[in-house]
Amino acid sequence: MMKRYVLFTLLIFAIPASAAQQRSGDSPTQTLSPAPSFEPVTHERLLNSDAEPENWLMYSGNYFSQRYSGLGQIDNENVGQLEMQWAFQLRALDRAETTPLVVDGVMYVTEAPSNVIALDARTGSQYWRYNHEMPEDLTFCCGRNNRGVAVLGDRVFMSTLDAHLVALDAKTGSLIWDVEVADEATGYSATAAPLIVGDKILTGIAGGEFGIRGFIDAYDQETGDLAWRLYTIPGPDHPDNMTWAGNSWRTGGSASWMTGAYDPELNLVYWGTGNPGPDWNGDVRMGDNLYSDAVLAINPDTGEMVWYFQFTPHDVHDWDSTQIPILADTEFDGRQRKLMLWPNRNAFFYVLDRETGEFLLGEPYARQTWAEGIDADGRPIRIPDTFPTVEGTTVSPSIGGGSNWWSPSYSPRTDLLYVMAYDGETTYFIRDDEYVAGERFTGGGGSTPLPQDNYVSAVRAISPQTGERVWEYQVKARSTAGVLSTAGDLVFSGTIDGFFFALDAETGEELWHINVGSRVHAAPMSYMVDGKQYIGIAAGNVFYTFALGD
Amino acid sequence: MVHKNLPLESMGWGAAVFVIVGVMAGLPTGVSAQANPYTMVQDVQTGEVLFGRQCSVCHGVGAGGGEMGPDLTTGEFEHSSTDAGLFNTISEGVPGTAMTGINRTRTDQSVWQIVAYLRSVSGGERVAVAGDASAGERLYRGGGCTGCHVIDGAGGRHGPNLSTIGDRRSPDRLLSDLVDPDERVQPRWWRMRVTHRNGTRVEGLRMNEGTYSLRILDMDDELWSFLKKDLLVSERIETSSMPAYGDTLTDGELEDLVAYLYGLTRADQ
Repeated sequence: MMKRYVLFTLLIFAIPASAAQQRSGDSPTQTLSPAPSFEPVTHERLLNSDAEPENWLMYSGNYFSQRYSGLGQIDNENVGQLEMQWAFQLRALDRAETTPLVVDGVMYVTEAPSNVIALDARTGSQYWRYNHEMPEDLTFCCGRNNRGVAVLGDRVFMSTLDAHLVALDAKTGSLIWDVEVADEATGYSATAAPLIVGDKILTGIAGGEFGIRGFIDAYDQETGDLAWRLYTIPGPDHPDNMTWAGNSWRTGGSASWMTGAYDPELNLVYWGTGNPGPDWNGDVRMGDNLYSDAVLAINPDTGEMVWYFQFTPHDVHDWDSTQIPILADTEFDGRQRKLMLWPNRNAFFYVLDRETGEFLLGEPYARQTWAEGIDADGRPIRIPDTFPTVEGTTVSPSIGGGSNWWSPSYSPRTDLLYVMAYDGETTYFIRDDEYVAGERFTGGGGSTPLPQDNYVSAVRAISPQTGERVWEYQVKARSTAGVLSTAGDLVFSGTIDGFFFALDAETGEELWHINVGSRVHAAPMSYMVDGKQYIGIAAGNVFYTFALGD
Repeated sequence: MVHKNLPLESMGWGAAVFVIVGVMAGLPTGVSAQANPYTMVQDVQTGEVLFGRQCSVCHGVGAGGGEMGPDLTTGEFEHSSTDAGLFNTISEGVPGTAMTGINRTRTDQSVWQIVAYLRSVSGGERVAVAGDASAGERLYRGGGCTGCHVIDGAGGRHGPNLSTIGDRRSPDRLLSDLVDPDERVQPRWWRMRVTHRNGTRVEGLRMNEGTYSLRILDMDDELWSFLKKDLLVSERIETSSMPAYGDTLTDGELEDLVAYLYGLTRADQ
C-alpha cells in the first residue's frame, strides 16, 4: 500500500487558478464566483474563534476543546430534515479519524497516512492535495492514522506518521518546511493535530508501545526551529525521576499522542500523557511513573511545567490519559470556577481546577472494577488483585477504556459533558519483555473474555458539578466515535455499524439517524458557508456533510 | 466442561498428516499456493513468542481476540483460508482496517512461524482418533444434524458449516462441543425472540444485529428484518439451539461422531 503513496508524493493537484489568484481577479462584472476569500488566520482569530462559528479553526473547535459549535441553524426542531450535501472519497482505504478544519469556505481534511486535501467546503471539490513522503516500512501502534491539521496565518501544519512536522502553503499545498520531530526507526510516530499558541506549533508524539520517552514540542511557525521540548518523563536531575525504578524511565513511554487545550487568560496549555511502558508489566518500573497517565499544565512561552495531575499512578492496564482536555467556566460548589473536565480512560470522570490542578471530583462514568473510588487528593483507591497476572486477571474498564482518544464535548448551553462511553472488560496478562529499539515493548496484553455484543456503548451526558449521569443513549458496542454538541441543542455522534445520529442535548432523545455505510471512527464538526450550516463527519474512508434541505 | 474423554493417541510429528513441501528461505513477500515450510514444534513456539510481541496487542494474548482485532482461534479467518493467504495477510496487513503488515525487522521465516502458531491454536497437531468415521457419518445423517449444519453444500443454515471442521477443532474440542454446546456460542449463532408491535412473533437465528435494526432467519428459513423501535419484546438467547448429546449417545457413538467430524478437512475435499 505504502508504495503507492510514495509515487504520488508531492504531486500537487492545484488548479491553476488558485483561490488566491481568483480573489485577485475579483470584480463585479465576473459571472463566475471566486473561491471564498481566505484571510490569514491570525492568533487573534484563534483566540476569538467563538466569534466566528462559521469556521472550524482547530481540531476541537476552540481553545477550550469543547467541540461545541455556536451555529444553531440546525436545531432540535428541524434536524429531521437533514440531507446529505456532498461526500468526499478519501484515497486511502484506512478508516478515517480526521476532523477537518474550515477557514472561510475552504476545508482542510486529512487522510492516512499523512496527506492533506484542500476542498471547497460548499461542494467537496478539490483545490489541492499534499501527500507526505515517508518510508514504506514504518513502525506504529494502531493503524495508519491522521486526525487533522492546524492553521496559522496562511499556513497549514501537520504532524506525520513518520514523526515529522510539516508546514504547507494554505493556498497551494506547497511544502514550506519539514522537520523531524523524532526518529521513526525507534518507534516514534505522530497522528494528532498540532495546537497553535502564539507563533508556536505544539505537537505531541506517539509510540507508547515501543519504549519511547515521551515529550511535547513547540516549533517556531516561521522557521520550523525547535523552541522548546518538555519531556513527559523527567530526567535523573529531577526528583520526580525517582518514581521510576532504575533506568526504566528511559523506555517509560508516556507518549502525548492527542491534542492539548489552551487557556489564554491563564496562559497555560494542557496536554494529556499516555501509559507508562512496558504497558502491562509494571514490575520492571516500580513507582508512580511520573508523569505518565497525567495532565500537564505548561507555560507555552517557555515549555516549563507549571503543575501536573496524575490520574493513574503506576498504571498496569494501558489506560492512557491522552483524552482531549475540556476546559469549562462554570459553577462548582456554589461558585464560578475555571474547570477542567476529563472522562478518563480509567473509567472515572474527573473535575480539576485548571488554575492550580486541584482535584475537585472523581466519579465513575463507565463500568469499573479496579478502584473503590478516588481519595480526597485525587489518587485512586485500588481494589486488591486487579493487576495483570500470568494466568490473566479480568478487570473493567477494558484496555480501550471507559473512553479513549475520541473527543468528548461540552455544551455551555446545557452545562453538560457528553462522552462516548464503553462498559467493557479485559482479561489482562503480564509477560516478560525485553526492550529492542523500534519493536513493541508492552510486557503482556489482554483478551476480551466475552463477545463484544455482551458489552454496552453509550453516549452519556454527565453533570460537571456532581459527575452524575443525566441521560444515556445506547448504541452497538463498541463505538469509537467522538461527539459534537451545538447551539441548536443537538448532540451528534456515530456507531460502529455505520450510523450517524443526532440527539436532543437536554434529554438524549434520538431525533435523526442515517446509514453512512461504514464505521464512524472520527468526531463530527460543524461550519457555515453562504448562510448554510453543515455538519461534517468521516465514516469509513469517506467524508460526508449534511445540511437542511433547500 | 468436558464430561467425557476419548482415548486419544498422539501420533507426534513423525507421522504428521501435514506434508512439508520443502523448506525455502527468503521467499519474496506475497506468496501463493505455498504450503508452510516451517511447521516444527520449535516453529510453533517461536511463532507464539512473535505473536505475543507483534500481534497480541490487538488480537489478544493467546490469539483469543481483543478490542481491536478478532479471535484467531476459531480456525476461520476473514481474509484468507490457506497458509499462503495467512502469510500474505500477516505480511501486508488488511486495507481499511487497523491491521498493518508485520514489523519490518521480521523475515519470511518469522511470518511462517506465526502462521504455524495460529494453526496450532485453532486446530492443532493432527492426532489419531479411535472412533469409526463411517459409523459416525451414519449417526450424523440419521440423527438430524443435517437440519442445521452444512457439509459440502448440503444441509441447513442454523448452525456452523462443518465442511472443514476437522481443520479447526481438536477431537477433544469436538467432543466438548457435542456434550456441552452452550459453553462457547459465538454471537453469530445466538437466537432472537421478538414481538412486533403489530403482534407478529418471530423466533430464529440472529443473523445480524445493529444499533437500529436486526435480522432473523426463522425455523422455516424465512428471512425477517425489523427496526428495533417497532419491537415490543426483543429477547436475545445466547445458549445453543443444539441439544447436548452427552446423555443420548453412548461413549462409543460419540467417538464415532467425533471421528467423522475430525475427518472433515480441506485435504478431504
